[in-house]
Amino acid sequence: MNIIKGGARVLGDDVSTDIHCSSKYLPGKNTEQIAAVAYEQLVPGFAQGFVKGDLIVAGRNFGINSSREQAVHIMHRMGVAAIVAPSFGRQFFRNAINNGLTVIECDTAGISAGDVIEIDPSSGRVTVAARGITRTVPPLPAAVQALLAAGGLIPFLQQHPDWNLKELAA
Amino acid sequence: MGHTIAEKILGKHAGGKAAKAGEIVVADVDFAMIHDARAGNALKMIEKLGAKSLPYVKRTALVLDHYSPPPNMEAANTHVEMRAFADKHDSPIYDVGDGICHQVLPEGGHLTCGDLVVGTDTHSTTYGAFNAFGTGVEGTDVSAVMMTGKLWFRVPETIHIELKGALQPGVWAKDVTLTMLGRLGAEGANYQALEYAGSGVAAMAIDDRMTLSNHAAELGAKAAILEADEKTLAWLKAHGAAAPKPVKADVDAVYTQRIVIDTATLAPQVARQHHIDDIASVPDVAGQKIQVALIGTCTNGRLDDIRQAAAILKGRKLARGVRMIVTPASRAIYLAAMREGLFEILTAAGASVEAAGCGTCVNITGHYIAGDDQVVISSANRNFKGRLGNPKSEIWIGSAATVAASALTGVITDARTVAGGDWRAAA
Ligand code: SF4
Repeated sequence: MNIIKGGARVLGDDVSTDIHCSSKYLPGKNTEQIAAVAYEQLVPGFAQGFVKGDLIVAGRNFGINSSREQAVHIMHRMGVAAIVAPSFGRQFFRNAINNGLTVIECDTAGISAGDVIEIDPSSGRVTVAARGITRTVPPLPAAVQALLAAGGLIPFLQQHPDWNLKELAA
Repeated sequence: MGHTIAEKILGKHAGGKAAKAGEIVVADVDFAMIHDARAGNALKMIEKLGAKSLPYVKRTALVLDHYSPPPNMEAANTHVEMRAFADKHDSPIYDVGDGICHQVLPEGGHLTCGDLVVGTDTHSTTYGAFNAFGTGVEGTDVSAVMMTGKLWFRVPETIHIELKGALQPGVWAKDVTLTMLGRLGAEGANYQALEYAGSGVAAMAIDDRMTLSNHAAELGAKAAILEADEKTLAWLKAHGAAAPKPVKADVDAVYTQRIVIDTATLAPQVARQHHIDDIASVPDVAGQKIQVALIGTCTNGRLDDIRQAAAILKGRKLARGVRMIVTPASRAIYLAAMREGLFEILTAAGASVEAAGCGTCVNITGHYIAGDDQVVISSANRNFKGRLGNPKSEIWIGSAATVAASALTGVITDARTVAGGDWRAAA
């Protein structure tokens, strides 16, 4: 997989994506409207200041309680390139991979908003050069990399209805 | 090195021997479920996938339970779409009033021991009560299952929980899960599977075991699997399930953690307002006033819950100022409760009975349950601020026994201290 590099946009621990980035608690709102106000209550101006290609850098349990994959669709619309957090809510983690959004489990202490962060999903390396931070985590499993490289589960199955994840990842 | 139940079920469905925790497998899914709150998204994803055919669609049930009855036009139209989809593909459908997905799937004989089942709902862990690997997924996943019969899974690590001794009368599986939530915290088992075992599980009736597996979702668990015994097999047979393929863990299976709970001496527990892991022993908070009492949901709206409530309220009246709603988890439970005369007892006591479905679980069903500053005691599974529509109200969570005893007195009450609170399900 390609290296992803962009500006860090920082959120805290236990961010519920259902509450801050989906229609579950914003009924009647469409993807575009929610993308414009995502995480507003946590970090005022978060969505306005978001530049396509930025990465979300969060605390533990990012996406906790979030069952809706719509949240990931909204993040795509915002232009989120990847998310780095020490841990993720289970369902959110799955939804991200299924919808082609790279998620890396890594300690994010010491990374501040605006830092340029670089992640290499294949080797599991996370770097913030300006701060001298280099962290290595287990690389994403090959099968997950294959899904992400295809752009998510649906495009993957359109190309590989036989589910040949292993051969693809090799 | 031995294997856990999760490793064995996922490994076997991936066409081999047991898998190892951490591995990614592509596994054959036995059954899938879509409910109405996620059907809009799921049907969109199926369209996006653009499959020429959906060979596995008959193994996917559509369940109209959250919006039951639909609270707005949008929900009513989702139901129209779901019925049309089920008709077109001849897939099983459970309509408004038939019941909650996690109740109607096992009751409908759609799963058995050793199965791999997914549903578009976090509480799909419920199927673990029948020795199946049940887990929550999203619309994209279900569309993949309909087209290919398969799905990818990360094989979870497992926490082993031994329940030592039969629960006392008046104490239920709900109290066990609340105890676990107090120990591990909400999401304390994130990514992991749970295995409940021991004499405490053996003594439980199926209704109570379903609570154990269901409520594991609040711990963040991916699955919560019990071994099968005579009771499991008899229940499955009575509900027309396919031949069971029971799966046991190896004695040398590897667990991330082993927890022992002394269930024989456990007291009833409650989760205080707003946080499902803010746990107190009922005797410690007895006397807290309540105004609304709810029995229902996929966690505790089963026949034994309603029987327990009726045993407490028989020939009595709710405390002045208390409102009580009972929502059976399925039509089958509704019918059984009606035939047993339980609704007569509850209605005479002052409670209202609603049609089966998700009912009073969450505000998306169209319910605004409580006014400002009112305190709700509910047998549901989640109590975050505003879940019942009004962020100025409080939701406390307890067993059906605790809810009924509290409705009787108007304050949170230990069911063991009221007549009828010692009712016990025939094991
Ligand atoms: S009863 Fe509540 S928790 Fe269960 S499926 Fe329905 S809404 Fe979800």
